[in-house]
Amino acid sequence: MKSNHLKILLCLLWLFMIVLPLLRMLSTMAGLNLFEVMTARKFSRAFWQSLNVSSVATFISVSVAGVLSWAVARTNVKHKQLISTLIIVPMLIPSISHGMGLIIIFGANGVVSKIFGLTGGIYGFWGIVFGSVMYSFPVAYLMLYDILRYEDGTPYEAAEVIGLGAIDRFFAITLPYLRKPLISVIFATFTMIITDYGVPLMIGGKYITLPVMMYQDVIGMLDFGKGSAIGVVLLIPAAVACVLDMVSRDSNRLSFVGKPHAIKDNHARDLVAKVIIFAVIVAIFVPIVAFSVIAFIKKYPVNMAMSFAHAARAFEIGALKYLANSLIIAVAVSLLGTALALFNAYMTARAKTKLSYFLHLMSIVSLAVPGIVLGLSYVMFFKGSMIYGGLVILLVVNITHFFASPYLMAYNTFSKLNENLESVGLIMGISRLSVVRDVILPQSKQTIVKMMSYFFINSMMTISAVSFLSNTFNKPLSLMIPQFEGQMQIECAAFVSLVILGANVMMKILEDFSLKLTR
Amino acid sequence: MINKLAIENVSKSFGNVAVLHDVSFVVRGGEFLSVLGPSGCGKTTLLRILIGLETPDSGKIFKDDADITTLPASMRKMGMVFQNYALFENMTALRNVEYALLKSSALKNSYNRATAREKAEEMLEIVGLEKFFDSKPSQLSGGQQQRVAIARTLALNPDIILFDEPMSALDVDMRLSLRAEIKELAKKFRTTMIYITHDQEEAFAMSDRIAIMNAGKIHQIDTPHNIIESPADEFVENFVIKNINIKINSLIHFQRKS
Ligand SMILES: Nc1ncnc2c1ncn2[C@@H]1O[C@H](COP(=O)(O)OP(=O)(O)OP(=O)(O)O)[C@@H](O)[C@H]1O
Ligand SMILES: [Mg+2]
Repeated sequence: MKSNHLKILLCLLWLFMIVLPLLRMLSTMAGLNLFEVMTARKFSRAFWQSLNVSSVATFISVSVAGVLSWAVARTNVKHKQLISTLIIVPMLIPSISHGMGLIIIFGANGVVSKIFGLTGGIYGFWGIVFGSVMYSFPVAYLMLYDILRYEDGTPYEAAEVIGLGAIDRFFAITLPYLRKPLISVIFATFTMIITDYGVPLMIGGKYITLPVMMYQDVIGMLDFGKGSAIGVVLLIPAAVACVLDMVSRDSNRLSFVGKPHAIKDNHARDLVAKVIIFAVIVAIFVPIVAFSVIAFIKKYPVNMAMSFAHAARAFEIGALKYLANSLIIAVAVSLLGTALALFNAYMTARAKTKLSYFLHLMSIVSLAVPGIVLGLSYVMFFKGSMIYGGLVILLVVNITHFFASPYLMAYNTFSKLNENLESVGLIMGISRLSVVRDVILPQSKQTIVKMMSYFFINSMMTISAVSFLSNTFNKPLSLMIPQFEGQMQIECAAFVSLVILGANVMMKILEDFSLKLTR
Repeated sequence: MINKLAIENVSKSFGNVAVLHDVSFVVRGGEFLSVLGPSGCGKTTLLRILIGLETPDSGKIFKDDADITTLPASMRKMGMVFQNYALFENMTALRNVEYALLKSSALKNSYNRATAREKAEEMLEIVGLEKFFDSKPSQLSGGQQQRVAIARTLALNPDIILFDEPMSALDVDMRLSLRAEIKELAKKFRTTMIYITHDQEEAFAMSDRIAIMNAGKIHQIDTPHNIIESPADEFVENFVIKNINIKINSLIHFQRKS
C-alpha cells in the first residue's frame, strides 16, 4: 500500500533525526564507569543543586501561573486578550536574556542593588530561581488558563444549591478537577527549568547545575562520555513529563464538555485580580525594559549617556551575518518544519493504518528530549557527515527539537475534520491530492499559521541544541548572547536580545494579522 | 441499464472479527431498499463494500451483471450520502456541487466552469436550496446541509445511491420532510436507493423492500407488509415486534399511501 510506504519513509526519517543520534549518545556510556561518574563529588553536587533550584523555581512558577490564570479566567477583568498577549512576551526571548535582565536590576551593579545599597547581587541559587520563573511561568500560565477556562461550570452551580462555601468548593471541586492536569503542568515546568542552561549560565555564578556542567564537560573539555551521562539523567524528567502529558491530554478531552463557568459580578474580587495582573505585567516588563535601555547606554553604570557603540560593536563582530543566519534558519525551519509536520500528521490522523500509531509515537519522541541532550547526540552522530558544520544541521536539529508541538496541533486539527472527506473523494473520483489541497488544508489555515509562527520563534531564540553544533560560519544570532556574556559585555548581549525580541514580536504581529485574515 | 445490484456470498472480517458472513441478496433496479439491524451488525461495512471503499475477503458484487468487485469506487456510478454530511466546509453550498462536477474523474471534464455552475444551481434548486447558494455549511441547518450533500451526490448522476443513516442527526420535523423529498427524488431520477436506518418507522414508511440484518447476516429481505405478516425467523419477529406501536402506525401510514 502506498500510504504505508510513505509512513515507513517517515519512520526512517525519525530514526535518523532522533532515535539513532540518541542511541549513539547512549553508546558512549558503554565504556564508562557510570557509578563512578554519578558518585563523583562534582556531579552529585550539580545534581542536587539542579534538583533544589528547579523544585523551588517550579513551585513559584506554577503558583504565580495559577494565581494569574485564576485572575484572568475567573473574573470579569477587561481586555483578557491583551493581557494574555502581554503575559506571553517573555516566551519571545531566550531564557538567558531573562537572567541578564535580572542581573541588570539585581546584579552587583544592578539598578535596585545600587539604590538599596545591596552588595553581592542576586547570583547563584535565587538568581537561577527568579530567572527560571521569568521564562517558565507564561508557559504554565497558558496551560492552566486553558484548563480553567474549559472547566465545567455545572458542579459549581450544584454546590451553590447545596450551599457549599468557597473553601469547600475549592477542595471538593476545583482541586480534584485540577489534580491530573496540574501534575502534568508541574512536570512540564520542572522539565523546562531543570534542562535549561541559559539562566544558570548567565546568573548561576558558582552554583553549577547539570546542564551547565554538561556544557562545560562537552564544550570545554570535550568529555563526551560524562556529558552523555548527564544527558541521560536529564532525559528522565522529560520522559516522565511527556508520558504525564499524554495521559492528561486523553483524560482532559472528556471534561471539555459541559457548561462554561458563569462568572458573577464581584468588584472586590475583580480589584484583587487587577492588582495581581498589573503586578505580574510590571514584573515581566521591568527586566525587558532594563535590557532595552542598557543596550543603548555608554557604560553601565559608570556613564549613562546614550550610545550606539554596543550595537556598532555587535555588528562589527558579525551580528548582521549571524542575524542573517538566524533568519534563514528560522524561515526555513518554519516552512520545512510545518510542511513535514502537516505531512506527518496527515499520515497519522487521516490515513490510519497499523503503522500510524507507531509513527505518531516516533513523531512526539522529541517532546521527551531536552535541547542540550539533542544537541549533544547530534554532535556525536553527525560529526564527519556532509551536513555537519553548515546551516543544514542547525535546520535539521531545530525541526526535530521543536517538532512535537506543531505536529500535535496539526494532528488535532486533522482529527477533528469530517472523517469521510477522503471517502467522498474516492467515490466521486476526486484525487486525494485535490481533497487535501482544496478541502483539508484550507480548513486548517489557522493551525498552519500557528505552526509556522511556533517554529520561527523558537528557532530564533534557541541556544540549547544549536550551541553544540555551531561554528563561526553557521552560528545563529542567539548564540552571541552567551558569547558576549563570557566577555563581560552585557550591553552588547542586551542589544542582541533586543534584536531577537524585535524579530519575534514582528512574527507575533504577523501571526495575529494572518489569523484575523483567515478567520 | 436497470441499475440492479447482486451481492453473492460476500464475507468480510477485520482482523479476527468476522463482520459479514456469506451475504447474498439482490437489489432490484429502481427499488428503494432499506437495511435495518442492530448497532454493529455490519450495515456500514456492507455499504462500504458495495461502493468500493472496502474490498470483500470473498464473494462478488455484480452491477447489471458486470462484476464490479474490484472496480474503483469512482467508476461504479454510485453515490453515497453520509450521516455527518461530509461537506467541504470551506466551500459554499454551490461550490460544493460545482467542485464535484469539475473535479470528478468519472465525468472526464465534461463540464466547464459555466456549465458546472448551471448544473450545480439546478441541483440545489431541486433540493429546495435556491436561496442558499452562497451559504457555507456552517451557516445551514442539519437538514439543509444534508440536502447539499444529496444535491452533490445527484449531480454526478449515479445509477445507485447509498444512504448511511442520513437523518439520524436531524430532528423529527426535518426527518419527515426530508423523507418525503428523498422518496420523490428516487421516483424522479429512477435511481436505485439503498438506505440504512435505525428508525424502523422510517424504513417501513419509505421502502419497497426491507432487509433485516443481524450479526453479519441478512435474515429476511421482503416487503414491509410481508415482514410483519410472516417474519422469516424468531430474530425478525422479535426485532419487529419490539416496535409494535411504530409498526401499527407506519402500517396505517403505508396503507394510506398505497
Ligand atoms: N475498519 C474497521 N476495523 C476494525 N473493525 C471494524 C472496522 N469497521 C467496522 N468494524 C467492526 O465491524 C463491526 C460492524 O461495524 P459496522 O460499522 O458495519 O456496523 P453498523 O451496523 O453500521 O453499526 P451502527 O448501526 O452502529 O452504525 C463492528 O463490530 C465494528 O467494530
Ligand atoms: Mg453504521
